[in-house]
Amino acid sequence: MSEIMISLKDINKTYKSMGDEVQALKSVSLDIYKGESVSVMGHSGSGKSTLLSILGALNPPSSGLVEIDGIDIYKLSQERLADFRREYLGFVFQQFQLIPYLTAHENVMLPLTTTKRSNREKREMAAQVLERVGLKNKMNRLPNQLSGGEQERVAIARAIVNAPPLILADEPTGSLDTKTGDEIMELFQQLNKEGLTVLMVTHNPDNTKYLGRTIVMKDGRLSDERLNLN
Amino acid sequence: MQLYNIIINNLRRRKSKMLFMLLGIVIGIATIVSVFNVIESMKTQMTKQVSEYGINVVITPDSGGLTFSYGGIILPEILYDVEQLTNEDVDIISQLGSKDMIRIIAPKLISVEMLEGGQKVTVIGGNLKQEFQIKPWLTIENENSEASLTEKNIEGFVPADLIRQDISVIELSEDQIIIGSALANSLKVNKGDTIKISDNQFEIKFILSESGETEDHQVLMNLKTAQTLFNKPEEITVMDLSVDYEAGSEEVLLAEIKENLPHVQVSSLRQETLKRDEMLTRLVRFGVAVSILIVFIGMLVVGITMSGSVRERTREIGIFRALGFRKSHIIKIILSESLIISFVGGVLGYISGNLIASYSGPIFIGETIQPEWRVLVLFISVGLSVAIGLISSIIPALKAAKLDPAEALRFI
Ligand SMILES: Nc1ncnc2c1ncn2[C@@H]1O[C@H](COP(=O)(O)OP(=O)(O)OP(=O)(O)O)[C@@H](O)[C@H]1O
Ligand SMILES: [Mg+2]
Repeated sequence: MSEIMISLKDINKTYKSMGDEVQALKSVSLDIYKGESVSVMGHSGSGKSTLLSILGALNPPSSGLVEIDGIDIYKLSQERLADFRREYLGFVFQQFQLIPYLTAHENVMLPLTTTKRSNREKREMAAQVLERVGLKNKMNRLPNQLSGGEQERVAIARAIVNAPPLILADEPTGSLDTKTGDEIMELFQQLNKEGLTVLMVTHNPDNTKYLGRTIVMKDGRLSDERLNLN
Repeated sequence: MQLYNIIINNLRRRKSKMLFMLLGIVIGIATIVSVFNVIESMKTQMTKQVSEYGINVVITPDSGGLTFSYGGIILPEILYDVEQLTNEDVDIISQLGSKDMIRIIAPKLISVEMLEGGQKVTVIGGNLKQEFQIKPWLTIENENSEASLTEKNIEGFVPADLIRQDISVIELSEDQIIIGSALANSLKVNKGDTIKISDNQFEIKFILSESGETEDHQVLMNLKTAQTLFNKPEEITVMDLSVDYEAGSEEVLLAEIKENLPHVQVSSLRQETLKRDEMLTRLVRFGVAVSILIVFIGMLVVGITMSGSVRERTREIGIFRALGFRKSHIIKIILSESLIISFVGGVLGYISGNLIASYSGPIFIGETIQPEWRVLVLFISVGLSVAIGLISSIIPALKAAKLDPAEALRFI
């Protein structure tokens, strides 16, 4: 637990829409170490998704420094930033976000599409992670032929197929029942044990027991209330 | 898994919208192809008519003054005091690179002469065989014209071959001429009589049957005889050519003539006909206008369809971007989809355009048009269609690439 995976220094994010200004993040500084698993909690509108999208190289901050694995990511060009997302990050979105016209297998291959691997290699890599999440026998189904929990597993398989060091998940269990949600959380726990760094936004306090550290956001700031929650 | 897997799968999923776009392109390209097919067929038909007329290309000295009329087509005037054509020019024409296209060269010396009674008459000195070949309407009045007339009535018309066979009989010595029927009537002369032209006596060897053309009033003699008689031993007034349009390109032939004989004026009856035909000109104008309109509408259809597609796929594009697709990958996806549809549309449009033209032939030109599967037209159809597809998809594709992935994934 020595090397720093994520380093945020004095991050501010202001959204401007039609004259209105919303300060979604206010002077946020945070270090997350390699191999850590962190849950992010807080009320709706407190800035959790904003924080995640800034870490996800999708949303540049208004000010402050974002370093992932020592790389100042927002100094990268647009195209290099896309490559960075592909190589460093695995996203698991709320609502799974699978492409409806691609099979589970093809959805998992998406992050490999623009890489220079052979088709066969891509297929094998995707099949392997699908087996890992227990969906080997259903990999040729379309997303709407899978249950919610199964779709979530496909989404996780897609996030890890490229073997990225960092997984970012935004309420991955939000729409699942408790039992399925717990299974998914166990999967995340397992992945973390294998060395992946996991950062997860969640509304469910029960989920925090599968993860190491919990940080709480309030009105765009990191809050000290974490003790209360734990 | 490659980008094309995504492209093909998406096209399959959006079948109805993509079919709509495809249909729009097919209809557009088919219309353009069929209109120009009809125009092309009209041109071919006219070329055929001009070919049947015999004379297709007329070479005259380069300047105005004298007008020639060929079957109703009047060529620009020619002046006499300019550099004249010579026998040598005839040899040059017969040795051109495209000489295989030239079936007949009919050079002649034309002069207006005074007859004994003070009557003016046009005298043509030419190579009679070529002259009769190139002017199929020229025939010799038959000995027993009564018989041939009844024969004509039965048969309807005299086949061209029969006339050609007559030609071998037509030979003149230095003091013999052929005169037109109207001239013979007005001079009250018959076959075998003699008349005086420029103080020289000539025997009338043949009289031409009435054709309704200018030759009815003219005198025909050998080129050599005329050149000696008028004291212009090398001079040629005009060269008529009969051209085989199937043997090569008319443009090349005309260019070669111009290049080798820079001092002459070359007139193509075919091009004059095509230029002067009102119907054709209007149809070409109509075709161009329709094509511009179609290209415009086609771009609109493709642009709107693709924009709609990009809007519907906002979330999907956000996911692609979050998963590490570059902007250029997104542009590639959108443009490829449009490319595939417009390519297929171009091919189908070409096929249906040809079929439409062949079925609508009877309406426009009164005869069936054989569908012509010309590769060049296929290339143009596909090229045009692909250009429409790509150009009108550039904006939607750039819009897709510019989509902010964070924004695209926000409301989900
Ligand atoms: N693109 C945007 N434009 C304008 N305002 C935005 C934008 N994204 C977020 N906001 C605002 O920033 C604040 C933080 O939003 P964010 O989505 O980060 O909250 P959250 O903690 O994820 O909430 P939830 O738990 O409901 O998902 C909110 O007030 C939100 O309205
Ligand atoms: Mg959120």
